[in-house]
Amino acid sequence: MNLVIYILRRLAISIPVLFVGTFLVFIMISAAGDPLAELRGRPNINPEAIAQTAQQLGLDMPIIPRYFHWLGNFLTGDWGVSVAQGNAMQPVFPKVMGAFDVTIKLVVGAEILALIVGVAVGVLAAVKQYSIVDYLATTLAFFLFSMPIFCVAVVLKTYAIQVNGWVRDLGLTDWLGNPWLRTTSPENLHSTGFGDFLAKYSGAYLLPTLSIMAISFAAYSRFQRASMLETLNQDYVRTARAKGISGSRVVFRHAFRNALIPVATLFSVNFGQVLTGAIITETVFNWHGMGTLLVDSVNHLDPSTLMGWLVVVAVLVVVANLIADLLYGIMDPRIRVG
Amino acid sequence: MNSLVAGEAASAAQREGTLPPEALPEPVSQGRLVLRKFLRHKLAMVSTVVLLLVVLVAVILPIFWMHKYEDASFPSFARPSSDFPLGTTQVGKDMVSQVLRGTQFSLLIAVVVSIVGTFIGVVFGSVAGYLRGFTDSALSRLTDLFLIIPQIAAAAILAKVFGHGSWFVVALVLALFAWMPIARITRAEAMALSQREFVEAARAAGGGTGRIIFKHLIPNMVGSITVNATLAVAQAVLVEAALSFIGLGVQPPDTSLGRIILENYAQVQTRPWLFFGPFVVLVLISLSINFIGDGLRDAFDPRQRRMKA
Amino acid sequence: MSRWKAVSAVTVAATAALVLSACSGGSGSGGTDQNGSSTDVKSMAVGKAENVNAGTYKLGDVPSWPGPVTVGIDDAYSAYNNQTPDSNTSYNTYILTAVLAGSDVLDGNNKVLLNNDVLDSWDVTSTSPYTVTYKIKPGVKWSDGAPWNCKDYYLAWLAGSGKVKDFNAASTTGYDLISDAKCVDDQTFVTTYAQPYVDYKGLFDSAQMLPAHVLEQQTGIPDITKVTPTSDPATLKKAGDFWTNGWKGFNASIMPASGPYMITAFDENQGAVTLKKNPNWIGAKGGPETVVVKKFSDTKAMATALQNGEINVVASTQPDATAADTLKGLSAQGVIYGSAPQLTYEHLDMNYKNAVLKDDAARKAFFQAVNRTEVTDKLLKEVQADVTPDNSLIWTPGESSYKDAGYGTTAGTGAADAKKTLEADGWTLGADGIYQKNGQRYSVTISHNNNTRRDQTVEIIQSQAKAAGIEIKNDNDPTFLSGGRVSTGNWDIALFGWSQAPFKSQSQPIYSTGGSQNYQAYSDTKVDDAFKQAVVATDEATANQHYADADKQIAADYASLPLFATPSMWAFSGIQKVYMQSYNGALWNVGEWEQK
Repeated sequence: MNLVIYILRRLAISIPVLFVGTFLVFIMISAAGDPLAELRGRPNINPEAIAQTAQQLGLDMPIIPRYFHWLGNFLTGDWGVSVAQGNAMQPVFPKVMGAFDVTIKLVVGAEILALIVGVAVGVLAAVKQYSIVDYLATTLAFFLFSMPIFCVAVVLKTYAIQVNGWVRDLGLTDWLGNPWLRTTSPENLHSTGFGDFLAKYSGAYLLPTLSIMAISFAAYSRFQRASMLETLNQDYVRTARAKGISGSRVVFRHAFRNALIPVATLFSVNFGQVLTGAIITETVFNWHGMGTLLVDSVNHLDPSTLMGWLVVVAVLVVVANLIADLLYGIMDPRIRVG
Repeated sequence: MNSLVAGEAASAAQREGTLPPEALPEPVSQGRLVLRKFLRHKLAMVSTVVLLLVVLVAVILPIFWMHKYEDASFPSFARPSSDFPLGTTQVGKDMVSQVLRGTQFSLLIAVVVSIVGTFIGVVFGSVAGYLRGFTDSALSRLTDLFLIIPQIAAAAILAKVFGHGSWFVVALVLALFAWMPIARITRAEAMALSQREFVEAARAAGGGTGRIIFKHLIPNMVGSITVNATLAVAQAVLVEAALSFIGLGVQPPDTSLGRIILENYAQVQTRPWLFFGPFVVLVLISLSINFIGDGLRDAFDPRQRRMKA
Repeated sequence: MSRWKAVSAVTVAATAALVLSACSGGSGSGGTDQNGSSTDVKSMAVGKAENVNAGTYKLGDVPSWPGPVTVGIDDAYSAYNNQTPDSNTSYNTYILTAVLAGSDVLDGNNKVLLNNDVLDSWDVTSTSPYTVTYKIKPGVKWSDGAPWNCKDYYLAWLAGSGKVKDFNAASTTGYDLISDAKCVDDQTFVTTYAQPYVDYKGLFDSAQMLPAHVLEQQTGIPDITKVTPTSDPATLKKAGDFWTNGWKGFNASIMPASGPYMITAFDENQGAVTLKKNPNWIGAKGGPETVVVKKFSDTKAMATALQNGEINVVASTQPDATAADTLKGLSAQGVIYGSAPQLTYEHLDMNYKNAVLKDDAARKAFFQAVNRTEVTDKLLKEVQADVTPDNSLIWTPGESSYKDAGYGTTAGTGAADAKKTLEADGWTLGADGIYQKNGQRYSVTISHNNNTRRDQTVEIIQSQAKAAGIEIKNDNDPTFLSGGRVSTGNWDIALFGWSQAPFKSQSQPIYSTGGSQNYQAYSDTKVDDAFKQAVVATDEATANQHYADADKQIAADYASLPLFATPSMWAFSGIQKVYMQSYNGALWNVGEWEQK
């Protein structure tokens, strides 16, 4: 019961923050310019029609009332329509959700993989501290951590074309498709069977997944190594060892569980960085997800789409932080939330 | 350099005689101890030398370099030669002078981000940790606000639309989103420190909030502040590059390594030097700063305990 | 990223309605010729069954093949009705040109041709009053089986005339001159003009011809041809509201096709449209059975995708030297590359309100300092091998009436000339290497939207001007065009593009004193007079003479420096021939694309 109240209180606190956030961003983007200005500047254009469209889109209102108009609609479940010229008043909700769907599919897989690989490498490096494995893992992590993610993506993309050439030379196109590795988003992933599905899915997702993984893996493995080392030095682990409990048992029953806590927290708190990484990856691989949506809505001075984007991302951040705190509580019995 | 400052601050606090033994067991030698430990950290020392070299080259070489960065009168896409060691860009500018200028801007942005971000974070964190109560929750809501608005969105609107991609605006926007982790760490430390006897004594002696924070709390947090400020520089170099790469960061006439990579990445196959030139410098900078940060962390923390960032 | 290379809508075609008669030109060129390939891209500008002499076009008959053919374009499709202010973009036109049949077809050379698949004739049947009669072929059908006939023409007029405010048409140009329109029978549509209108062939084009029967069904109006601008306001409102708001997004049941292809899917997120053959299309039934058109924010990514075999056709209005380089390098793999100047020209407008630039000698010196050949060589030669600077503000180099208005001799003569001009006018070289006069430094800013090519243009000009003692600052403002700053006149020099329809009267508001698009506060009575005479001229030769006079006078005033006509860029593999049309994109003849 306490937990429910805690969650509700946390969510309640974030509502005014969300309100202030949307207000600030709305004012800034609206003050940046009129989305129909470019159209007005064209020759042979009918000013009456533009005025009518502006009215229909609510662009004739001053900015602050326009925000409250948006907020009123939003609270009743109406996310509004895009006010960008050329977007033909596309409804914001499906637009944002569609983009979110693209991004989340990309991110979740990559993050889970990064987490598994990162934790495994981190544990290994800690258990075998100062071994060759540890040095290799540390070097790799430092390099990836210091490398701009977009460079990884650019390099991967360049070699993909070569790999596809090998696939063709080896005559594997019947199984893997031609081209197998895609440098852009797929139009669809309709497949004829499991093998075909696997080939299409891997071809489309492999490169962006690797790019997103690269940076997260580095952080997870470093963090896991450090926290694992710390746990291994704790008294209770030493005691367990002294009592004659076998090495691997100590590592996995006692140390691993506690060492996972900070990494689990990092997973949620790091969300903002993960999002930025995803946006960059999307850009390089021409996926139209949250990244493209953000850039387009800013370029087209489209506050309603940007608001939808912001609300989705902000809610995710709030939920991710909440989950981080809850995880902390569940995994570490010493900490009680509430 | 940071560690020397830290040592001075610590001994100043010691001279006032307000520092109890448990806060810093060997206050006199702490600065020297840190320095000694840092000097022993080989990777960190090599990194320091590399970074210093990069900085010196970026600052001094342009003065003597044979081409000016704004001179676009050369042929486009000239191959590397003794005249143009990294070739020329599409508009016909010497690539070496571009990379040098980009390095200057990238470093400048990163340092501004680190200083401004650390300053905001330390002030907010220690005020919140020391005063607690209403101030603490107000600052905590402010932190929430900055966590909720994604940095990338703020950069898109503030830096691009309003700032026209000027390096300074980009740096400020990045700093605006770089202070939260530092504030969190500082707040926790300030909370712990404010219950110590020496702080209570200072308060009893009539020390004002500002005095206590700046004279007693912050000097005792120098270790974590230095480490985090250093790592913030590396972080800022990469974030700036990432933003510039998707076109939301620095815009001409200003430049940065990220911007230069954006302009040239498509040449990676046909003219790899145009891509790898700025790329190598960028990785060199962030790698060396990360190593320095690591060395500082080890030096400041005898138990090798990691900070939660 | 690029996204951030947003296409400025000012630079692209305003509306297809502007595209009118007689414009030859559009030279295909590019790497294939350079690479020694015998492929003649220029010949691809002409349709397979086109009859240039008769001025008619029919879709050529080619074998049908399954495809799918994937085409990359710069931005996404958004609406079936492209004629409202919120939807109007050239990217809709690129798709609709294959989906909606119209009176005319524009070939790759911008020739206006009668769409002979659906029309028998479009003759001027009387000159007083000026009357045009359309004879529609019997048996033309929408993909849902309803006939395509006079009713659809009538709706197009009702919506475009501007007489009924409920139809929110972005442009009414041309249609507003039609005083009366009526259906004599289902196959005969007669329009009567209030004044002679020689450019009538540009009207009732594909994007304007929406399905009247769908509107009738959706609004419950029994017969749209009985509805006139003076009908019951409630009926007009019903019709207008549906026309304005009903045809956005995608809903197959109310968006049938009258052209060779129909839209079967629209993935808004991927910006991808799937086209399939329209079973009811009256003309030739061949070509690829499935065509996917997809948005790429980055031309370089588009080129890589073609290289990797993910797409079959690249069609971009955003020329990029690196992408061109990549595409031309693929000729061994059978990729054919083409490029042609579009009817869009980049130019530098001098603001007469600026303290430095209002000085004639200052502008003259700037023109002398700017070597446009260096700009085109460095930025565009890779895209279009025969690119040259544009020397006219009225015509683009591809057009038959194009002549050098004087820029060829006044611009780019070199730093020495520029310095001489400034010194003769009393400017002195300051210690900082920049000229000054009466305490005023020659330091001006070039403002433009956020676009890589324009940044590069400014960088080159900056360097050239510096050699002449002129300081140029680069102002990179993403809202310069999209936020409307250009129209406020709050800048020194503006760098942007105008789309130049063959319809020359549209230049009048740009260069006449107080004109609605004269953002630079330029004023010359000689130019005003020339335009005034040109627009009332009764024959094209006289009009052209007056336009040429205006062109020369603007050049002599050093008011605006044209830089180049922006080339388009396309490439394809596995298809016999593709030519990217300046206004309607690559799909204008998709029904006759043959598999190779």
